[in-house]
Amino acid sequence: MSKITPIAAAVAAASLFLVAGQGTAQQAPAATQGAAPAKPAATAPDATGVKRPEPLKKRAPDKAAPQTEVLIMDSQGIRMAPANVSAQMLAEYLILESAGFDLSQATQEGTTGKDRLVQDDIQKLCSLGKGQQLDPKAAQKVSEIATASIKYPEGGIKLGDWKKGRDLAWSGFGFRTAHNPDDHSKQQPGANCYNCHQLATDRTGGTIGPPLTSYGKLRGNSEEILKYTYGVIYNAHAFFPCTNMPRMGARNILTQEQIADVMAYLFDPASPVNTSAMSGMSGM
Amino acid sequence: MLKKVLLSLPIALAVTGAIAAQAPEDVLDRLVTKAGNPAYLTQSPQNRMMMPDNPAYMVADDGEKLFKEKRGPKNASLEECDFGEGPGVIKGAYVELPRYFPDTGKVMDLESRLIYCMKTLQGFTDNDQQIKKRHGNDSDMMKLQTYIAMQSNGMPWNPPLSHPLEKAMRDAGEVMFYRRAGKMDFACSTCHAATGLRIRASVLPNKDVPEEWTKAISWPAFRVGQDNVRSSQHRLLECLWQMRYPNIKPGSDASIALISFWTDAARGQPAILPDMKR
Repeated sequence: MSKITPIAAAVAAASLFLVAGQGTAQQAPAATQGAAPAKPAATAPDATGVKRPEPLKKRAPDKAAPQTEVLIMDSQGIRMAPANVSAQMLAEYLILESAGFDLSQATQEGTTGKDRLVQDDIQKLCSLGKGQQLDPKAAQKVSEIATASIKYPEGGIKLGDWKKGRDLAWSGFGFRTAHNPDDHSKQQPGANCYNCHQLATDRTGGTIGPPLTSYGKLRGNSEEILKYTYGVIYNAHAFFPCTNMPRMGARNILTQEQIADVMAYLFDPASPVNTSAMSGMSGM
Repeated sequence: MLKKVLLSLPIALAVTGAIAAQAPEDVLDRLVTKAGNPAYLTQSPQNRMMMPDNPAYMVADDGEKLFKEKRGPKNASLEECDFGEGPGVIKGAYVELPRYFPDTGKVMDLESRLIYCMKTLQGFTDNDQQIKKRHGNDSDMMKLQTYIAMQSNGMPWNPPLSHPLEKAMRDAGEVMFYRRAGKMDFACSTCHAATGLRIRASVLPNKDVPEEWTKAISWPAFRVGQDNVRSSQHRLLECLWQMRYPNIKPGSDASIALISFWTDAARGQPAILPDMKR
């Protein structure tokens, strides 16, 4: 018959944990400690009302199993039991406890792979499933956390060197680990701007973020707009809760000096961002 | 590169001739029409033109030989391997993976099932190059995967969800798809939940448009920029690298949960095998 698998074991542990919550078992297994409480499976198809098409072919009956049950493994061996494990619990198990990822892998910032995978508050609040809207209370919380994280430079915001900023904006290097870790001793991490934004029009930028061509030309360089822009680069969630934009300052991806250089690229009248022709740009 | 393509021409013609009704470029063309010329499917006319001469055919040709050859300490071929449709049946098997296998108690994808058969039927171990080397045109793994997957060209993705573990894995994969983490807070959905978005010049496929998504998940595909045939597991590896995640273990349950979800998202759409990508 079936062999014991890590997943089956996790499902079993989680099932027992839930049973324990109902007062019918003595102890919750250690494997479930630290697991998120069983929230309603908001991203599960049943909850979102998304109907997947039926399988095109009928499976052979001997391969099918009862629809309402999940394979579990416990002291009684492998058997089928009621499905009590949320997709969230299984996902957390697969990511953090099943040895699916190299949790001890060294990162460039001196932490481990596990630190990259464990979610902080903003990541948790912003992991929205298909069709799931950010509720206003969560949005406010995200914005508050983000606002509190922003550290403005002592002595006010000054623009750096737009040429250095251009190189940073173009570079997608840095902090990649996995099978081919970026070596920061050979090259400094970039700001990744062009991955998602069109800036100067001499190079092709992505469209995940809004186009920023003529950024300074359109907005001027008042203290207010400089402070706002610094904040957006540092932690954009303060202004756009659950934005896709990485928290370049709050997560120590860029230094304050590098942010100043990127800002010079955005604001300096001599920067190609502000000297580029805007014709043909969409979405402005 | 060009020389390689020219060398592959006679073989490619022979192979495409045999499956003319099912040529992957025809599958793609029909999808392009049906979906109204979406940017993702049409972004590389050059690749579309080269599809009849896809170097992946050469890799698959080697794979067919390896599949039928008696190999390993047990001197056996892979012709008795059960990919879910019964021993030796590979036609249509790939589009119904990942699936639950009672003999292992696990949900397995093509790569993990292939390795299981190479171990149990042929006697190879994890330390043998035949299993250890997962990537590259010259790897047994990619030769075999390309050959096996190609036997599902044009067939609709239809991974079974009748077993509770299949459904549990698919649903966990969905959570993982939307779960933000890493140095830059990325989830799969950061790039793959809208249509027509670009990373720099590359148009991204939308998981919610199955006609686009089937091309996105049609691996093995020859990646022109890498001059190699690549697998689903390789695609996953590279996405997670860009996402600033730590290394994922090939064939891990975490990887198969994601592949289960992404295959389900293309359900009903025809597979393009082998595909050619940028």
